[in-house]
Amino acid sequence: MATPKELSDFLIAVERRAFKQTAYAVRDDHTALDIVQDSMMKLATKYGNNPVTEFPMLFQRILQNTMRDYWRRQKVRNLWTTLLSSFGGSSDGGDERDPLDTIDVEDDSDEPSTQLARSQTIILIERALEKLPARQREAFVLRYWEDMDVAETASIMGCSDGSVKTHCSRAVRALATELKKQGLDKLGLSGDMVNNRGSKG
Amino acid sequence: MNTNENKTEKVNDSHLMNDAQLMVEAQIANHIVDLLDHRVQQLTPVEVRRLSTARSLAVSQLTSLQTQAVSHHGVNQSGHVLQWFGNHVGQHKIMSSILVVVAMLLALFVVQQFSFKHNLENSDAFLLASDLPPEAYADKGFNAWLDSN
Repeated sequence: MATPKELSDFLIAVERRAFKQTAYAVRDDHTALDIVQDSMMKLATKYGNNPVTEFPMLFQRILQNTMRDYWRRQKVRNLWTTLLSSFGGSSDGGDERDPLDTIDVEDDSDEPSTQLARSQTIILIERALEKLPARQREAFVLRYWEDMDVAETASIMGCSDGSVKTHCSRAVRALATELKKQGLDKLGLSGDMVNNRGSKG
Repeated sequence: MNTNENKTEKVNDSHLMNDAQLMVEAQIANHIVDLLDHRVQQLTPVEVRRLSTARSLAVSQLTSLQTQAVSHHGVNQSGHVLQWFGNHVGQHKIMSSILVVVAMLLALFVVQQFSFKHNLENSDAFLLASDLPPEAYADKGFNAWLDSN
């Protein structure tokens, strides 16, 4: 059984990544914060008695399911909105979110030019991540960012190990291609690496 | 023989290619993840505060659940049956309602048994205290006489 201190330490370790991961998926920071909070509460309420070693897997699964619930609700809401808007006339314009608005470039540890280059690269990566298909993004985030192995990722995603490998591979390829288009030198990867990657695909 | 060797070479080549591919993938992914980790450290104060509040809520939820569980366990041990029953009713609604129905049927049965015995006693007392001897009620001629009158 996990103690409140253990739960707190675990959440401190994962909460920021969970928030950004959700924000890339739902593309709205407030919604992402709501989803992370819901997931934290579900973990505490339903699985608080489980050992702390099970928390990473459980939390990721809860987070993914909560995101899916959100998408389902959105789908239904969009359907109604579409139906009603056909009667109601003009919509309010669907303002597209620009990642530049939300990026906070505070870092005084580097030279301003390096700092600028890095934040531009991060913006490119975030845009590329947002563009990825949901399953590829999920696989990439779990496998590489959450550092889970293939079996754990497959278990959370509810698919086979082979599918996870395929999704990861496609995600990395798509990210690399996207970043190459935008000027890869900012990422600090050698050109060969991506050329190599591109030629294998 | 040559074709077999060629096939083996091709398989080995493809394995090497796959390994190299995986290494390149992992390298790219690690670079991206490093940058994402850097980004995660730059959340706005509002976002950090929201996350901290969410965490506190979750932790206090766990604390209250564990306190409840401990008190529940303590009650069972110290034998406060009514409180235990209250908790039990809350947890097992169907079983509890079945239990209540069975108790009501049992009570009805006991009450009926008691009243039947009481009626029997009353009728015995009536027969003994009446002016007519009890044998008169067993006589068929007496019944016919009563009907005719």
